[in-house]
Formats: sequence, C-alpha cells, structure tokens
Amino acid sequence: MFKTTTGSSRRGRRAFSGVVALSLLTGVLVSCSSSSGGAGGTLTFLTNAESWTHADPNRNYTGQHIAWFGSFMHRTLTAYARAEGAAGSEVVADLATDTGRASNGNKTWEFTLRDGAKFEDGSDITCEDIKYGVSRTFATDVITDGPAYALSMLDIPKAADGSSVYKGPYKTDGNDTAAYDKAVTCSEDNKTITFNLSRAVGDFNYTVTYLSFSPVPKAKDTGDQYDLAPVSSGPYKIEKYKPKDEMVLVRNENWSKDSDPIRNAYPDKIVVRFGVAEEVRDQLILNDSEPAAMSLDGILPTNLATIFNEDGTPKEEWKGRALNVYDPYVTYTAVNVGKVPCVQVRKAIYYARDFAALQQLGGGAAFGGDPADGVIKPLMGLDYKPVTGLEDFKPEGNAEKAQALMAEAKTACPDVFAKATGAGLTFDVGDTDTNKKAATIWIDSVKKNAGINLKFNFIEPGQYYAVVLDPTKQGDLSRAGWAPDWANASTVIPELFLEGAGFPLSNVGKDPAYAEFKQRAEANLSQSDRKKQGEEWAALNQYVMDQMWVIPGVFSKTQEMWGSKLEGVFFWEPQGAPSFGDIKIKS
Amino acid sequence: MINYLARRIAISMAILLAVSFAVYLIFAILPFDPAALTCGKNCNNPAIIEANRRRLGYDLPIWQQYFVFLKGLFMGRTFGEGAATIFCPAPSFGYSYQEHACVTNSIIEALPVTLSLAIGALVLWLIIGVGLGILAARFRGRAADTGSTIFVLIGTSLPTFLTGLLLLVFVVVKWRILPYPSGNYTPLFENPLAWLNTMILPWITLAFAYAALYTRFVRNAVIETLSEDFIRTARAKGLSEKVVLRKHTLRAALAPLTTMAGLDFAGLLGGAILTEAVFNLPGLGRLSLGAVIDFDLPIIVATTILAATIVIFMNLLVDILYAFIDPRVRVAA
Amino acid sequence: MSFLEVNDLHVEFPTSDGLVKAVDGVTFAIERGETLAIVGESGSGKTVTNLALMGLLSKRAARISGSAVIKRGDEDVELIDLADEEMRQIRGKNVAMIFQDPMSSLHPYYSIGDQIIEAHQVHNDVDERVSKARAIELLDMVGIPDASERIKAFPHQFSGGMRQRVMIAMALVNSPELLIADEPTTALDVTVQAQILKLLRELQEELKMAIILITHDLGVVAGAADRVNVMYAGKIVESAPVRDLYANPLMPYTHGLLASIPRMDRRAGESGKRLSAIAGQPPSLIALPAGCAFVPRCTFSNRVSGGASRCESSMPALTEHVPGHFARCHLEGASL
Repeated sequence: MFKTTTGSSRRGRRAFSGVVALSLLTGVLVSCSSSSGGAGGTLTFLTNAESWTHADPNRNYTGQHIAWFGSFMHRTLTAYARAEGAAGSEVVADLATDTGRASNGNKTWEFTLRDGAKFEDGSDITCEDIKYGVSRTFATDVITDGPAYALSMLDIPKAADGSSVYKGPYKTDGNDTAAYDKAVTCSEDNKTITFNLSRAVGDFNYTVTYLSFSPVPKAKDTGDQYDLAPVSSGPYKIEKYKPKDEMVLVRNENWSKDSDPIRNAYPDKIVVRFGVAEEVRDQLILNDSEPAAMSLDGILPTNLATIFNEDGTPKEEWKGRALNVYDPYVTYTAVNVGKVPCVQVRKAIYYARDFAALQQLGGGAAFGGDPADGVIKPLMGLDYKPVTGLEDFKPEGNAEKAQALMAEAKTACPDVFAKATGAGLTFDVGDTDTNKKAATIWIDSVKKNAGINLKFNFIEPGQYYAVVLDPTKQGDLSRAGWAPDWANASTVIPELFLEGAGFPLSNVGKDPAYAEFKQRAEANLSQSDRKKQGEEWAALNQYVMDQMWVIPGVFSKTQEMWGSKLEGVFFWEPQGAPSFGDIKIKS
Repeated sequence: MINYLARRIAISMAILLAVSFAVYLIFAILPFDPAALTCGKNCNNPAIIEANRRRLGYDLPIWQQYFVFLKGLFMGRTFGEGAATIFCPAPSFGYSYQEHACVTNSIIEALPVTLSLAIGALVLWLIIGVGLGILAARFRGRAADTGSTIFVLIGTSLPTFLTGLLLLVFVVVKWRILPYPSGNYTPLFENPLAWLNTMILPWITLAFAYAALYTRFVRNAVIETLSEDFIRTARAKGLSEKVVLRKHTLRAALAPLTTMAGLDFAGLLGGAILTEAVFNLPGLGRLSLGAVIDFDLPIIVATTILAATIVIFMNLLVDILYAFIDPRVRVAA
Repeated sequence: MSFLEVNDLHVEFPTSDGLVKAVDGVTFAIERGETLAIVGESGSGKTVTNLALMGLLSKRAARISGSAVIKRGDEDVELIDLADEEMRQIRGKNVAMIFQDPMSSLHPYYSIGDQIIEAHQVHNDVDERVSKARAIELLDMVGIPDASERIKAFPHQFSGGMRQRVMIAMALVNSPELLIADEPTTALDVTVQAQILKLLRELQEELKMAIILITHDLGVVAGAADRVNVMYAGKIVESAPVRDLYANPLMPYTHGLLASIPRMDRRAGESGKRLSAIAGQPPSLIALPAGCAFVPRCTFSNRVSGGASRCESSMPALTEHVPGHFARCHLEGASL
C-alpha cells in the first residue's frame, strides 16, 4: 500500500492510510474494548469528502476506510485485535474460529467459519459467500481499487498477456471459472474455506484481514452498484447512503455479539456527513457544536495551534479530545538507480538537501514528522534498528560532506557527475502548491551545497503514480511514501526494491549491490523465525541506506480531533486510524 | 419568426454535435490514460491496465468511441455483463464508475439543485443590484452612491468561497442562527422550509458577488441613459422625474441587462462550482468539478454538452426577449 | 411688456478646473408670433440659455441668476427659481422644445403615437382616445401621410425629416405659446431643412406662437426669423432685425459667420471671395479675458481706434448703433 505525496483527490481516492507493525517501543499492552455500558446515542462523522471512496468491502483499500467499515459493517476471516499500541497488531479470529491453519509449506490455508454469523437479511454467512466476495476482486474492470492479493497469490494460471485466466464472476465467455474453483474450495458443510496459493505465504492470515476477503451474498451483488448498497455482515446496516449528502447506519438486528467476539456496538446510530467544507468541519468540532462528532479528515494546519502546544502535545483543555501520533508512513525520494548509478552522487543529494526547510514546510517536527533514517519506521519494533553511517546528516544541509562526496564522484563516476552538475537530474513530483514550494528548497540547497542541478517535472496528481511507475516515463528522482500492508517489513523491503515487486521506483536491478540484496531478501521472506526475520529486515534497511537507493524523508505524523461527548477513542496502529468501533457516547 | 427559430435550433444542434466531438478529441489528445485510472492502487500491474483498456473500450480509435457514444444517445447503452450489467436508457450519456450511476441520472439529480441555486440567486441579485444601481445613479455623488460604491468594492473583491465560508462559520457554527446542516440539499417539493434553509446562504453568497457587479453596471447604464437626448425630450414634455426614471430611463438602461443576466444565469447553470463546494450542494458544478478531477470522461462530456446547450438556449431566449424589449431588433429578426 | 423677457441671465457651472461661465448676462425679449433666432458656435451659450429657461439644467450642477418672466394667461411667471412642479406644468404646455437630432430625441422603444399621446396626457386630464385623436390630428398637420396608421410605428421606421415632423407634432400637441427649436434642421439634408423651416413658419402663422430658433447656421435664419441674436462666449454680441444683420453686420464675428455661408448667387472664384470659416477656436469659458473674448480671432481689431490693446483690456458694451441694431464692438459702425 502506498501513499502519494501529491495530495489526495476529491473523495480521498488516493488518500492513504495503512497498517503498522507490532511495536515493542510502547511496551505496555492496554486492553480496551470492555463490554461495560455506555451504549446508545448517535455518533456523527464529518468529512470533506463527497462520499466513501468505496463502501463495497472488496474495493476498500485504505486503512481508515478498512477500520471504519471493518468496525461497523464488514467482517472478515481474521482481524486485528481492538487494542491500543502493539497489542492492536495481533491477528485474531473474526468470522473464522481461529487464525487459520497452514499446510503444504504455507501454500494452503484453511479457515473454518463460526456458527451464527449472519448477513443483515438473516441468512447465514457461508464459505460460498466469502468465495464469491474474493472472486469479485478478479473483475478488475468493475471491482476497482481493492487490493489485488487474491489475484497475485491464488494458484490460478496466467494468460499469455500476463492477466489471470479467471476474470471474475461477471464475465460470461472465455472465462476459466474452473481454475478459480480449484484455487478456492468450500467444504461439504459450506463451513470451511481453503485457499490454494501459487507460492508460500507464511502470513496469509494477515492478508485475509483485508476487506477484499469479506463475504458478499451472490444474490445481492449488483457489480459496480454494490458500492452504494453493500450488504452488512457486522453490527450496523445502511439505512441511507447518499453520496454528497450523508450515510446513516442503524443497528443490524441479525448481528449477535455471541458470534462476534471482537466488535463493540455502542451507539444506536451512526451518521456520516459528506462534503462539509474543511473550515466548517473544523469549526464544528472546535466550537463543540457537535459534541458527539469526529472529523474523518484530520485537522487544517491553521487550526493545529488551537489544539496543540508547540511541542505537539494536546493543550490541557484538549486532552482526551485530540491525538497527534505517528501514522504508518515513511516519505522518501526514490532515486532511479538505473539512471543515477553513482552512490556518491545519491549520498551528496541526501547531505546537501535543506531538510530543515522541507520539514518546516511539511508541518514541522511537531506535526509533520521526524527525520527518517530509512524505509522502516521505529513503530515496526521487531524490524527496526537505527541506521548507522548517517552521522554527518545536518538538518540544514552539510555542504562540506556533500562536496567531498562530489569530489569522489568526479573520478568514481564521471558520467553521472557530469550529468548532475551539467544538464541536471530530473525530479518527478505531483503538481501541487506544496510541492512547488518544496521544489525551490530542493533546487537551491542541492545546488548550493553540492553543485547539483535539479529539474522538476510537475505531474498531474491523479496521473502521478501511473507516470512514475512506467520506467519509460520516470525521471531520475521521484517523490513517494510507503506504509507496510501489515505488521511485517516483508511488505516494505521486498515491495520497494525487489525487481518485479509492487512499488519498484528505485529500479535497482542493475546495481552491483543488487545481487546480494536479492539473495538475502528472498531468503528472509521464507524465514520462519520472526525475530531473526526482523533482525534481517533491519540489516537490509541498513543495506539499502548504505547504497542510498532512496533519500529518506520523514516518519510522518497525523492529527485527529473529536467532540466532548465521545470517549474510548484510541489510535488503532495497524489501520493507522482511530478505533472507530470502540467510540462511546457519554450519557 | 418560426423560420428564424427553426434555423437557430438547427444551428444549435450542429454546434452541440461539434462540441461533443471536440471534448472527445481533446481527451484523446491530452496525455492522460483513462485505462490507468480504472485500477486505483493496482496500476503498478500493467496487465490489469491493459485488460481494463480492452474491457472498457478505450483501445478503440477515438472516432469509434465517439460513434458508440452517439448511438447510446439515441438507443440507450448496456454496460458490463453478468450480474454487473447496467442498462442506461436513451438518452444515455454513458455510465459513470465514479458516481455509480447512469450519467443522465446524475445530471437529472444535479440539475434541480443548480436550478434552485441559480434562480434564487438571480432573483436576489437582480433586486439588490438593480435597486442599488438606480439609487446610486439617482443620487449620484451622495451618500447612497458612496455606500453602493463600497458595496461594489467589497462584493467584487471578496471571492465567493470566502463569503460562503464566512457566512457558514458565523451564521451556522458560531451564532447558530441557522441550523446545521445548511448544506445537504432537500428538494423544494419535499420540504419547502428545509429547502429554503439550505438555499438561503448560498443565494446570499452568490448574489453578493453578482449584485455588486450589477449595481455598478446599472448605475452606469442609468447615468448614461439619463444623458440621452430622449430623456431631455421626456423632461421637455413636462413629465415628472418619476415617470422619466421609471418609464423612459429604466427601460432603455435595463435592456442590456437582459443579455447580461441571461448569460450570467447560463454560466451559473453550468455550475457555481465554488458555492456548491462550500455549501455541499450536489449540483452540476460539483459534478463536473469532480469529473474533471477523477477524469470521469462520460460526465465531462455530458456536463460540457449541457453547459453548451444552456448557453445556446439562453442566447436564443435573450434574443427573443430582446426583440420584445427593443422594437428595432424586432424588424431585423 | 413682452411675452417673454429675459434679463441679465447668468449660468455658471462650477467644475474642478474652475468656474465655467456658460451664459454671462444675457438680455432679450420676444413677442408672440415673433421668431427670434439665437446664433452662435457650439459652446457660445445659446443652448444653455434655453435649457435654463426651461429649468432643464441640473440644479446641482448649474448656478443660475437673473430673471426670465413669461406671460401665462394674465399672470407673469418668473421662470428662474420656479418650483419644480410648476416648471413641469409649463414645460410642454406653455413652452415646448424640439431638438437637433430627431432620431436620438425620440425614445427608441415606444411608438411615436405613445410618445405624442403621453405628451398630451401629462397636461390634459382626458381619455386616452381623445389624446390619440389629437395626436393623429397633429401628425396630419405636420404632414405625416396616413397618420392614423403610422401612429403605431416606431421612430426607427421614419426618415430623418419625418422624425423631425413627429417631434414638431409632439411639441405642438398642447398648443404651446413658445416653441424653442434647438438646431431643428442641423441633422437633416438641405431640401428637408427647407421643408421643416417652411412647416415651422406655417405653423407659427396658424398658431400665433413665439419661436426661439437656436442655430449655428446663419443660412437657415434668413428666411425663418424676424430678429437675430448672435452669441459668443456666453454673451450676446450683436442683435438686430434679420434684414439689417445681413445687410450690415456690425460685429466682426457676425461678419465672419456670414462669410462662411455658402450662397447660390456667388460662385467660388467669381467674386474673388472664397467661402471662409473663422480662423481659430472659441475661447475657454473658464477665465475669460477682461476685454472682448473674440479679439484673438478678430481680423479687424487693428482698425479700432486705440488698437487691439483696447479690445483686450475693455469689454465693449452692447450699444445701439442703428435703431434696433445692437452690437458689442469698439469698431465704429459701417466700417466693416
């Protein structure tokens, strides 16, 4: 899962959130989700977005949306524990009776469904419903935007053009339905689902926390239109959903706590108001005009000083009504190593850049984030170790170090040196105001401290990733951000740097250091000792930084606020969002 | 007159056809890949992009895509297959995967919102603009004129989104004069009071900006007309100032206002984007803005054609109206 | 006492550049049945004089002083400083006006019938049908063919001459005692000019009204007026019966105006005199010189006893040189 640095679109279609690893830093496990009283009332959410990006479970991808729909409407085989801190990243059984049983060297996974779990119409949730839901993710032209895990992991042959021979449940001819039926099977009693994978996936039970593995009743499926009226398997069902207006959820009478150990359902009613102007949204909470409301979009930068002290902690009167925490993201500038095959030049840019000014532009240390030393965030406790060798880093830029590196580069890689100091390096960013300001900081400081010329290529935000992911169109440097898909750097290091992986902006395949990296990363993917695996990810993070395949940006932060009548809010780390399902309204 | 109208309508149709094709052409030329927008975060997988390109027909030459569009206008069009089948009856402008609706339906839903907004604002700003403009002209150089000048300055320099935001934050959030949500739209015939509550601030917001422009325009037009020879004639006849102003001056001074108001109204129907966005009105402006951001081609084509239709129709209407007002035009037509 | 007596009329416009003295001590009188022509270049004050009489100058813009007394039945009415409402009742009723450009002077959006009926209705409390009959009668009188049909037509559907006839009909609808015709023929071609002037003369005979004919063109005055006032820079500089003025102009400015009239009996080159306009520009009405305002353009000032400096330093009085023939000039009579 990746984050743009190019700004999100109208409905947050490309606004991102994510999942973060088990954190040993916090140390203490805080158990929440008590089943004590406090039920009732109407919980209101305010958002500037016109609608949910998707309400269809199979099309949800962003952590915040997964947290929201996962709390209220859509169940999956497994889910993250509803707990603050590291405990939240533990996988627990949801529709399944346990967290899955692997066999065949992690290539076959089996889950058995609970008794008594029902859809909102009272019908039982069966294996076929989950199998059908997963099948929909193969209809990539209709069920868009959802994660493509099933597509990449299930053991289904590929056609000549690289696409799957199975094309989802809607396609009538030329569709190999049998291949899908072989990959996903249901037991006789329709209670046990088996996934046959094309490769070993040791943490497939994390994969199925995604709502793309939610059940969908075939009879109610209306393709694209299902996004407006998804059938609930959770404690609430849709009473009204009108994009650009509001969504109203009411209790699902066919849901029972007995068959769902992880969800609380405190409020009687949940309302989402769409299209609330950003300033109005903030003012409604700041004035406490809507004491039982929460903003879904963070806080306008101009309003942060009202709520938080300069150091980023909430002011006295805002304690218990606001959060300022690390989100799951690391921002960075990917160096297209194929086009800049010179580690000295890459490092010179890292040292030359005026990080302090860029950090200030992004909200400062208190709200924007702290300098990153790699692509793994400290929150990923098992997989993080501080990176060494970067001791000469100075926030405002280290000209001496940068110039020394450039002097080395002049003899070590004269071609790249000539290009960098002559015609210059191209830098891809989304066409936003902030990026335009950032560009001048980059250009001035890198020129001044290292003598390197940068040329910015501003790309329409909606097209940004389509351009930079196309190697024929990508420039020398590209802005990006990344959050792990789940609590394992296996969704970071290999995804960003292995050839043919999910987000290979650095194009490191031809780098002399790649062979060793590839061998170690692939080996570590099948490492069964999680502790050893974590140590190796940390070492590989160090390896990546030694090569300066990316120029790290910040470990970014996010802010949330809510009305005075809400309680029980905590930051649900694996989803990078508040724990919507645990919010209670004070009576 | 009938001949003239028929000719005008025929020309309008030809223009609309050209406009629709131009939109297709523009988007064919632009460096956008519509298929790359259908896969969301899976666009790092070229196989998905290519598969979607074929399934959605983006691989066809642009003239073929355009022909399919034209055919849909008259015959309706079916999208998808199996359980995902959607039929959009004629006149079909296509199906929007962003709105999850037939484009024609999206337009039909958005139109009354924008109509409510535009008509209410038009009435309000005409009353204020014409009233203040006449007052300023009549009492040129005096307090009323100075006051209106200040109003014009503020009205023309405050951007509508700021006016709207200030109104919302103060009237609704801080002073709580109007209940929240003042945004979410309620149709007039469903609940007139709620409708009024929704529309009043947007009307004021829009009318504020336009009334300023109209005050300035009307003031200048009235002053200019007052110096016309035929006004001197009217006074020489012994008519009272009241009659001179009402009957002789205003008719001549406000005639050009018909054109201005007609075209401004048409522009608003095309979408008062900022006002609709601030007040969360699900009108045409937001529909087209969203479509541009999301590269939602069927909606862009439809809203562009609609905007062109409205402009052409309003031009025709203004011309007809003008013929009623100005006898000199009547003969020429 | 005459029908209208104007005495020492001043009209001044305060502007940011200074005080504009548009009319500076004008005195004249007119009897019923008489036609008085006021002649001068644009800016000489002839139009402002009459607008002041009609109360059509903005009170905020213009300062008016002096006196203008008109007979209204048996009573004498002072027009200067008359209350708006009383003035309104005189306008169009006792005193009517026609203007230079009949196209722009008629309202383009109303039919000529509506406009004439309105002029009648405002001063007569009668049924609209009566006013309509009166309008047709007048249109007939001014020579509009098929008047009962044409009454529905709009101004743009008439030729220039016909429009001026409509204007005249409208002015005469209430049988005024005084008609002020401000450049009534300037916008018309020569043959139409003659027709309109002839019409005005005929109507005057019939209706026994006084006419003030304002023009810059001495040519139209010859056959149309009884007496001529020549104005320059806000002052009357010569006043005489029309025959005397033509035969024996006493003021170099009048002489210049006469020389600029094209005449059928003089072919260019034959008499050695060419058609000549007066050289130079009229003076600015702000800060007029102490003496004669015409001096800078005058070709005769060197013949004045005392020379041009006398003209520059002292303003000559309007003196009666010949009985009934007044002129404002230091030159001895008949020396032109």
